[in-house]
Amino acid sequence: MKPVLYIALRFTAARKRALILSLSGVVLGVGFFISTQAQTAGFEQFFTDTVLGTSGAIVVTDRFQERYAPVVKADADSMVAVSGQQPRKYYTGIDNPNMVMRAMRDYSGVLAVAPLLEGSVTIRTDFKDEILKLEGIDLDSQLRATSLGHQLIDGSIDGFRQKPFGLLLGSLIADKLQVHIGDIVYLAGTGGPLGTPGAGAAPSATPTGGAPAIPTSAPGSDLHPFTVEGIFQTGINAIDETRGYVHRQSAQMVMQKPYLASMLIVRLRDPERAPALAMQFEKHLHHRARSWQERERGNLEMLHAIRLSAAITVSLIILLAGFGIFNILTMTVLNKVREIAILRSMGYRRADIQAIFVYQGLIIATIGSVVGCALGAALTFAISQVPVRIRGPVHADTFLVTWSWHHYAAAALIAFASVLIASYFPARRAASLPPVDTLRGSGQ
Amino acid sequence: MSLSPTALLECRDLERWLGAEESRVHVLRGVSLALEPGSVHAIVGPSGCGKSSLLYILGLLDRPEAGQLVIGGQSALALEDRDASHRRNERLGFVFQFHFLLEDFTAEENVMIPMRQLGRLSQREMEERARHLLDGVGLRAKAGRPSRHLSGGEQQRVAIARALANDPLVLLADEPTGNLDSVNSERVFKLLTELVRAQDKALLLVTHNPAIAERCDWVHEMKDGRIVKTTRNTIEL
Repeated sequence: MKPVLYIALRFTAARKRALILSLSGVVLGVGFFISTQAQTAGFEQFFTDTVLGTSGAIVVTDRFQERYAPVVKADADSMVAVSGQQPRKYYTGIDNPNMVMRAMRDYSGVLAVAPLLEGSVTIRTDFKDEILKLEGIDLDSQLRATSLGHQLIDGSIDGFRQKPFGLLLGSLIADKLQVHIGDIVYLAGTGGPLGTPGAGAAPSATPTGGAPAIPTSAPGSDLHPFTVEGIFQTGINAIDETRGYVHRQSAQMVMQKPYLASMLIVRLRDPERAPALAMQFEKHLHHRARSWQERERGNLEMLHAIRLSAAITVSLIILLAGFGIFNILTMTVLNKVREIAILRSMGYRRADIQAIFVYQGLIIATIGSVVGCALGAALTFAISQVPVRIRGPVHADTFLVTWSWHHYAAAALIAFASVLIASYFPARRAASLPPVDTLRGSGQ
Repeated sequence: MSLSPTALLECRDLERWLGAEESRVHVLRGVSLALEPGSVHAIVGPSGCGKSSLLYILGLLDRPEAGQLVIGGQSALALEDRDASHRRNERLGFVFQFHFLLEDFTAEENVMIPMRQLGRLSQREMEERARHLLDGVGLRAKAGRPSRHLSGGEQQRVAIARALANDPLVLLADEPTGNLDSVNSERVFKLLTELVRAQDKALLLVTHNPAIAERCDWVHEMKDGRIVKTTRNTIEL
């Protein structure tokens, strides 16, 4: 062991009360930092996972055409033609979706692509009418590209697969409409007037457990009966209270769209690559492509700001601990003036004296970080077990936490930086003390 | 560069001022001294005459404004802190009036501190040497005792063992018996002189005690920053 480290260890261990005071600040700071980061990142991660699991890393929508206005400039000797770029012209829907999907699958990192036909419809039950954001899906593609299979909390995917007029409903809107699995609801495109279900239609609300026949459209109306085959919950209320899924052909019929795909959902191996890949899609495929980071910028920035704010607040505890260590080490230097002089007389260099006091800080930072990380993990676990009912922008029944080594590394880094700065100045002071002054003062 | 081929430590024409502006004092005025192997030197004189200042310069803890200093045949005044510290660690041993042991450490650990810095011995070798040195000063039985639990005389003997830790050429002692009763004072002085003579080292001690000074080989009397008189005593061993 290096002699200065040995002496630093002995000096540190000899002042137990100061050691406990210094350590407690670092331990609490590191522990609180980790647990708050685990919580804020937990909500952020949950939101990100849900966005990726519901709408994919990239959403490709309308085809566009670049437009240029030719400009011809002439002078006496020559004529120059330049192109002035104008705003793109967009065409609703995906142009030749199968070809676009094939092209996308050729990009490395693209795991799955799913076509969707999206629009707004009115959903009617005996109880009330609501506007529903309807998405017509290809079930297998959708299951590959999203987490729909895991989000189902009632009913079954197979039931939906077998029913051409099956409907998957968000949990909150299902609650609002008081519908259950097996119930029949009516969908109508929002463009047309809502008629009355015809006499030949199935009952508007069949008790759960029944086996209704595939309903047919009410004659003379735009209402189309669908059977609720599943209820899903993403955890994001904005989705759960507005969204429903049907098969794509059924959606086309209800919404009377002239095309079969209004958007494509792309799942990536590395979602962080979404912005770069979206740009490539736009450039090569001439369809509007938006990454999840772009789509959710507002929410992500808000969550990030909350996380940063929590980090700054809790870092103050570590900084305060650093200030405490500064005071304790400054006092130690004053108390160890004789020891410093005697070490110098025995051949210890100024740099060695400085190192002894910096090492004392590092010893506190090391022990404090290790114990603080353990405390942080324990707090994170305890918090994750606390039952809470969160019904805000997200839906959760316990605190959401994320276990990430980054939080532990960041906490330790802040602790080390803070303690290193706190110990540097007393250490420098110790090194600059002229031993002769001390020896002369004591010796004569 | 050696002024005297046999001297373990030699200084010539040392000049030292302390303080600044009006309070500036000329504490050393052309001091010259040579310590031969096996010799014991006493520096005596009134307070403020420059005794301790001379000791600290010879021990490379302070620098003179002018003069020469040779330790073990090598010039030692123009050294950087790193080299001066190494030279001090390797070739010089200090004993102070107030013992200056590290109180959180045991007697044995105190003796090992200079050895750790030199870094030539293994942990086991350092422990063996520390015990051997403590045996030499009659404290082997108390090697594991925290230094603050030792008496004043015992602490000074531990300090002597520590000064000998790296087998230095020269021992520099600043009133080593000044804080001890007569019995311990006699014991410490005897121990120091015997070690120096037996191992051909040199000892320079600052003292106010005429009885101690009389028993040294050389007595250098200082006044106003100068060595005004040097006396050679005839010692019957």
